[in-house]
Amino acid sequence: MLKGDAELYRPKKKHVVLFGLIGLIGLAVMAGVVALGVFVVTAWFGLPVFGFSEGPDQPIAFPHTVHVNEVGLDCTFCHRTVTEEAPASIPAVGLCMTCHQAVGSGIEGVETLRDFAETGRALNWVRVHRVPDHVQFVHEAHIRAFSGSKKIVEALRDRETEIRLDEARRIDVDAAVGETIEVAGSQVCAICHGDVASMPKVKQVRPLKMADCVNCHRDNNAPTDCTTCHY
Amino acid sequence: MEGRQKWAMTVDVDRCIGCQACVIACQSENNIPISDEPLFNQRRAMEWIRIERYWEGEFPDVKARFIPIFCQHCDDAPCEPVCPVYATYHNSEGLNVQVYNRCIGSRLCVNNCPYQVRYFNFWEPEWPESLQNQLNPDVTVRSRGIMEKCTFCIQRIRRTGREAKRDGRKVEDGDRGLNPACVNACPTDTLVFGDVMDPDSRVSKLKEKEMSEDGRGYHLLGSLGTGPNVIYLKKVDEHASGPTHA
Repeated sequence: MLKGDAELYRPKKKHVVLFGLIGLIGLAVMAGVVALGVFVVTAWFGLPVFGFSEGPDQPIAFPHTVHVNEVGLDCTFCHRTVTEEAPASIPAVGLCMTCHQAVGSGIEGVETLRDFAETGRALNWVRVHRVPDHVQFVHEAHIRAFSGSKKIVEALRDRETEIRLDEARRIDVDAAVGETIEVAGSQVCAICHGDVASMPKVKQVRPLKMADCVNCHRDNNAPTDCTTCHY
Repeated sequence: MEGRQKWAMTVDVDRCIGCQACVIACQSENNIPISDEPLFNQRRAMEWIRIERYWEGEFPDVKARFIPIFCQHCDDAPCEPVCPVYATYHNSEGLNVQVYNRCIGSRLCVNNCPYQVRYFNFWEPEWPESLQNQLNPDVTVRSRGIMEKCTFCIQRIRRTGREAKRDGRKVEDGDRGLNPACVNACPTDTLVFGDVMDPDSRVSKLKEKEMSEDGRGYHLLGSLGTGPNVIYLKKVDEHASGPTHA
């Protein structure tokens, strides 16, 4: 070999391993950044595509399935103020105890509940649906607007007597344009909260971002003045 | 119901005794942070309604004059066109409203307001531990960096409107649920609030009577042509001098 000849660079084995490792870490970081980006962007515009889209764990695994489907309770039986006031309200332990004093012995959650009732503590339920502080949401007005005898239409003109097909489908999957449905107060909940009755663990099904609210208000001829919700 | 109301207030300066009950009522109703002396010295104190006090005459004939000043809800509000983000605008009920979540804190509106009734949150609001639970849930707690001002207690207007609809009745004039907190708190009936589109309301009767030729009504800084929805009624006082003479 002459002096000055081109020499093929042969990296040392140590360097190959090192560079490979750096590359892999780099790829992992990049994948992480992309995933974070996707999460942030989707969470910004609606519900995140992964993570936090399942409902939170509650202090007692309260099964709506049992209470609504099997026992046949109406939403308004526990969420008492929903047809009268702004908040839907979570029942106090005392209200649960009107039934659970007698029924449900031996079930883990019920025993915990009784323990709470005896010691006079309140259950710290984890909130699933939350709008920001600068949004004043009123359950009562929405239930009043959607309940009653409604004709199903494509595009709504009269809020009092008509309901859009989109909303009617959420209440009754077989709804079709032209039919008339009787919407009870507790059926209205499904429009925003989904079919809670068949959820073992309650989760949020609609984005409930401002776009979601405003689009629905526009479609239903509801006021879209800022001070309808923001004050 | 929307768009068929126009809210207005009359302030009878003759009745005001400067007791500051309205200031306190407003503070507790609208989650206004507590302003102490250093804040006043910095001109950063917040009171959506304030009582301005003037001394008139020489000792021993000194008279204290009080005038409550709050957002005038001007029809041609100078604060509105300068907002770069449309955070303050006129709604269909004649209210000059501030949308907190839109505000970016440019403070152009406060510079353009001739009445100095807009307040900027220079800090994150804080309340002592004992007052944490007294915050009004119907009113947004404004965070640092946004503008706020008197809303004519729009949360009360909304609530009574909704409850009236729910119970199938009409909102009555002078309903204590409808009246802003300052009006309810006023011991001398200085402030009268109501709907001027309703010809039978107390405020529209007062407006008609007092804004006529020989009435006592005037607009604050009326020459600016801002068209306030707040009408002040002059002091009836034989000792008063100048334009306050009735």
